Amino acid sequence: MPGWLFGSLTAEHCGSCSSAAMAWLVVRLAISVSLLYTASAVFEDQVGKFDWRQQFIGKVRFALFDTQSQASKKLLVATDKNVFASLNSRTGDLFWRHVDKTGPEGHIDTLLMYGQDAVVVVGNGRLLRSWETTVGGLKWETVLDTGSFQAAALVGVQDHVKYVAVLKKSSISLHDLSSGSQIWVENLPDSDTVQYQTIYSGGNGLVFVLGVVPNSHIVIVEYKIEDGEIMNKKSVEAAWMSSLETSCTIISSGILLCADQITQSLYTLPLQSAEQTEMRQIHLQTLDLEVASGFQPVLTSTQPNPAQPPLSEFFLQLSPDHHILLQLKDNLIAPLRDFNPSYLAAFATSGERTVAAVMSPKNDTACSINLFSADTGRRHLDTTIIYHMDPNGGKPNRLYVHAFLKKDDSVGYRVMVQTEDLTLTFLQQPGRVVWMREEALADVVTMEMVDLPFTGTQAELEGEFGKKADGLLPMVLKRLSSQFILLQAWLAHLWKLFYDARKPRSSVKNEITIDTLSRDEFNLQKMMVMVTASGKLFGIDSKSGTILWKQYLENIQPNSVFKLIVQRTTAHFPHPPQCTLLIKDKDTGLGSLYVFNPIFGKKSQIGVPALPRPILQTLLLPVIDQDYAKVLLLIDDQYKVTAFPSTKNVLQQLQDTASSIFFYLVDSSQGKLSGFRLRKDLSTELIWEVVIPAEVQKIVAVKGKRANEHVHSQGRVMGDRSVLYKYLNPNLLAVITESTDTHQERSFVGIFLIDGVTGRIVHEAVQRKARGPVHFVHSENWVVYVYWNSKFRRNEFSVLELFEGAELYNSTVFSSLDRPHPPQVLQQSYIFPAPISTLEATLTEKGITSRHLLVGLPSGNILSLPKMFLDPRRPEVVSEQSREENLIPYAPEMPIREEWFINYNQTVSRVRGIYTAPSGLESTCLVVAYGLDIYQTRVFPSKQFDVLKDDYDYVLISSVLFGLFFATMISKRLAEVKLLNRAWR
Amino acid sequence: MNLRARACVSALLLFGLRVCFSQDIKLQEDDEDVMFKTPEEDVRVQVSGRALVPGVRAQDWISSARVLLDGDKHVGFLSLPVPQHQISPASFCRDDGSFTVSDVPSGSYVLEISSPTYRFQPVRVDITTTGKMRARVVNYIKTSEVIRLPYPLQMRCVGLHSYFIPRETWGWSDFLMNPMVLMMVLPLLIILLLPKVFNPSDPEMRREMEQSMNMLNSNQELPDVSELMTKFFSPPKSQGKAAGGGGARGPRGGAPSPRAGASRRKMRD
Repeated sequence: MPGWLFGSLTAEHCGSCSSAAMAWLVVRLAISVSLLYTASAVFEDQVGKFDWRQQFIGKVRFALFDTQSQASKKLLVATDKNVFASLNSRTGDLFWRHVDKTGPEGHIDTLLMYGQDAVVVVGNGRLLRSWETTVGGLKWETVLDTGSFQAAALVGVQDHVKYVAVLKKSSISLHDLSSGSQIWVENLPDSDTVQYQTIYSGGNGLVFVLGVVPNSHIVIVEYKIEDGEIMNKKSVEAAWMSSLETSCTIISSGILLCADQITQSLYTLPLQSAEQTEMRQIHLQTLDLEVASGFQPVLTSTQPNPAQPPLSEFFLQLSPDHHILLQLKDNLIAPLRDFNPSYLAAFATSGERTVAAVMSPKNDTACSINLFSADTGRRHLDTTIIYHMDPNGGKPNRLYVHAFLKKDDSVGYRVMVQTEDLTLTFLQQPGRVVWMREEALADVVTMEMVDLPFTGTQAELEGEFGKKADGLLPMVLKRLSSQFILLQAWLAHLWKLFYDARKPRSSVKNEITIDTLSRDEFNLQKMMVMVTASGKLFGIDSKSGTILWKQYLENIQPNSVFKLIVQRTTAHFPHPPQCTLLIKDKDTGLGSLYVFNPIFGKKSQIGVPALPRPILQTLLLPVIDQDYAKVLLLIDDQYKVTAFPSTKNVLQQLQDTASSIFFYLVDSSQGKLSGFRLRKDLSTELIWEVVIPAEVQKIVAVKGKRANEHVHSQGRVMGDRSVLYKYLNPNLLAVITESTDTHQERSFVGIFLIDGVTGRIVHEAVQRKARGPVHFVHSENWVVYVYWNSKFRRNEFSVLELFEGAELYNSTVFSSLDRPHPPQVLQQSYIFPAPISTLEATLTEKGITSRHLLVGLPSGNILSLPKMFLDPRRPEVVSEQSREENLIPYAPEMPIREEWFINYNQTVSRVRGIYTAPSGLESTCLVVAYGLDIYQTRVFPSKQFDVLKDDYDYVLISSVLFGLFFATMISKRLAEVKLLNRAWR
Repeated sequence: MNLRARACVSALLLFGLRVCFSQDIKLQEDDEDVMFKTPEEDVRVQVSGRALVPGVRAQDWISSARVLLDGDKHVGFLSLPVPQHQISPASFCRDDGSFTVSDVPSGSYVLEISSPTYRFQPVRVDITTTGKMRARVVNYIKTSEVIRLPYPLQMRCVGLHSYFIPRETWGWSDFLMNPMVLMMVLPLLIILLLPKVFNPSDPEMRREMEQSMNMLNSNQELPDVSELMTKFFSPPKSQGKAAGGGGARGPRGGAPSPRAGASRRKMRD
């Protein structure tokens, strides 16, 4: 009855190595034999037939165009997802992409580019890397001293950039650009009081480091490039200044320029001059300018070549939609051009020409981008790009300009616009969208798959059954008419097939639009509704990956939690399908509901209940209202229940069924699980409570079973023809705990199986010397979980299976309240020889197909592991009965075969979740893996037993049939002739 | 019912005991692991090595490859060969596909090179708290077993990933070895060849065969299907006669006809 733990097995291993090796060999053999019929792999000709992958990069923080050559298509980007990539600026595709580790250790601090080299500072100034940008290979990598990163700059000597300088909180170091070797490192003077923030080099053999003592003075230190000697050090009064980074910039031959909102003035200071000891103040009033109240003015300058000083022109942003181009000339600041209103402004350089692109509003839905020459502020003729804003999208917030020289020596340009909802749009004149990337999809939080609606004809047929009978004759007529419609549709389909067949294959392109969407024969094509962390919703066609609709929800807090609920599917024509998104603020717990149609993405007009209290739990009931929408219950922190929709009908139904509605709440901070029952007046009563002491272990995850899961067989047939019945408790919760003590000898992982109605602990197990992260799947009568064995430093799978025994207690209905016998629990553990990112199980329509576990690996592969390998009844010693049952002999190590990688070389970076959905075919399960990338495919855990294989040989079959037919004809003829001859004899 | 529950509990207890024992045994073996534990001070080291795919230029594969330590806990990238003229004495010389994973705290890690195309064997890297390093073969079952590998690491590609299984193609050999085909072909051969081997006109042989047939028939204890059918469908009065005829002739029905055919052919010759 109990399972085996391989800890004991390995101990035996060491004792008798030779016999163990033999046994191991036998086991291997048995496995390979059993694999012959369990393997489900991809065939090479299936590549791209029903699967697709989209790669993303995340929110762009730095973007640089390769301006070295005119023909270059490179666009280098560094993003908040710690991704450094090169995009093709003509198509938006990735040339290459490097995904660093997550978290602050892989955070890209800055990106500098010179020639073919890109220099990246990673992990708060921990690493300095130089990349070769054409092939995407690393050139060198150096570890920098500790200290928080402040700034980095390329340093040029005599028009050549040779070094890169990195400024840390208390030190500055200079590195050779071609090899990465450190030239020198110097401690900064008085670094405990002075906040050094900026670094500047104008190509004159000096590096300036600028620091500030807030509300006191600025410190400027001059270093000699060759040996790091301090040439000069001075401090300048600046009592108004709090931060250099936000309010200052350096322009024209080393002049520090600062802007201050309170004094409404600009300040200038030449860095190198010894005599000037205080900043020169220029009142903005003298320029007829004024900074909007409460707005920190932003200065933007440009240094086209790091070996040369910056230009003397700069942008001053006075308010969120007001920029002005100014010029410093002979110590005087003169406005060149006022851009009011203007959203964004950016400089770009091509060759010797520097231009400024400014985006200003045109009308409600469009912006115009114009090009101005930087030195004069004159507008270039015919350079307008019209940017149409997506009505369902966010506002543009970043502008990246790629300027180039045309053949006639005029300046042309392309722009990349990034919006609040992380859409990257690349435009060229006169407003043609070259490509578009939806980078919000790099952070999918949750998703659902919704069936597509029927076409008009299918709906017509459905409507016939839905409506009430209105006489015999009209029914007959209706039936005839619908049959006629079907015939018509079929003929049209045939005609289309014939028509398409004549055309060359490439020109036949099935454009998928929202209007042509309809369910296919086997319901394999669905709508993927994806919710992203930025608050943008997407509707994606699962067959092609085309984005069919998108909706940006504004005012979403960055740390919100989302829960997507399908309240009404497409099955209830003519009622539209309905999805509800619960958006919950993580800090306050306050939630709001957003109701929409998942097929078209349109917001529903249904009134949404106000949720004044934090929401603790949601519950989707099988109870439906008169419009076939399932009822959603929301439980707030006072245990009050809100029903949505809350019509009279629903409330009546709730009153009737209240006594059988139970729900649970988890308070992981106190380690408390509590069960509640609904009362008739929609209040609740506590019926059970399980306390797992929070000082010892904390609850990390609680999972029930999936509501749409079907279990086909109630039991398993054993070798002796008896049946072992499964313990199929739909109310079972799997609770995973981790010890608070993280010491590797004392840490443990606990699992509790708790009945959600009665609070009875059905089973508990503890895995000692183990720690998280725990991934687990709870389905049918089993729980599979993965943990890290800290003693042996390996991942281990453990499977728990629950059985009722040889007979069912009450075979007609399952009741948690009436279960006198505890289930039999079997457990077995296995070594998994790879790290794991995520775990999910396949799901099919009726649950007949055998189950597979889908394991997302950090390498980006998704492994489809047959559940057969995770069966606690796998015997140590093979017997006749276990062979009869097709049990694989126990082996401690789980095999990983490359044929089981369902996504072959289409790796999914940082896979965070796998979503499985049943299709209309029992053999087929739809799989979407999301992380940084999105990958959609279909899996056939028991092979495609219900459809003909794609390589079904029609030619062979028909030729055999025809051959047999002719053979019979000929032989019949021959036999006749023979008979006749014999008769004559 | 109660009994079963008690049995279950005791079994679980036993199970727990067994685990405890095995862990006690294990503890003694693990003395050398002690040095990898308790990272008191923060030692951060570089794990370096070189990955090689024979016959493929580094440029062609490194941009899609990464070096992963324990999943993606630590990530390293592969570097390009540096053109000869750029190698300065200050920098240490790099070759194709060399890599360093920087900033790794002490511990034991499994290092793998993840490439969508090429396959590499993972390597276990142990880093002591003093920053000493060694590389060894990954063995998940006997984790304390040490088979040393050279350090800096030399990772050599062991082939391409084989993601696909070949389609079953149609061939004559498969067709002929098909059990259905065999079942059809073998009787055919027997029918055609048997008369040639034994001469059925030989009276001695015929007698022998008839004897063996009779033996077979007399041994049959199972009810004959055709017999049952005839019994069932035939009118009750002629039951005995029909049953007798059917039963006796049934099994022999197939045999005489080829023999007759053969003998007829013989006669024609």
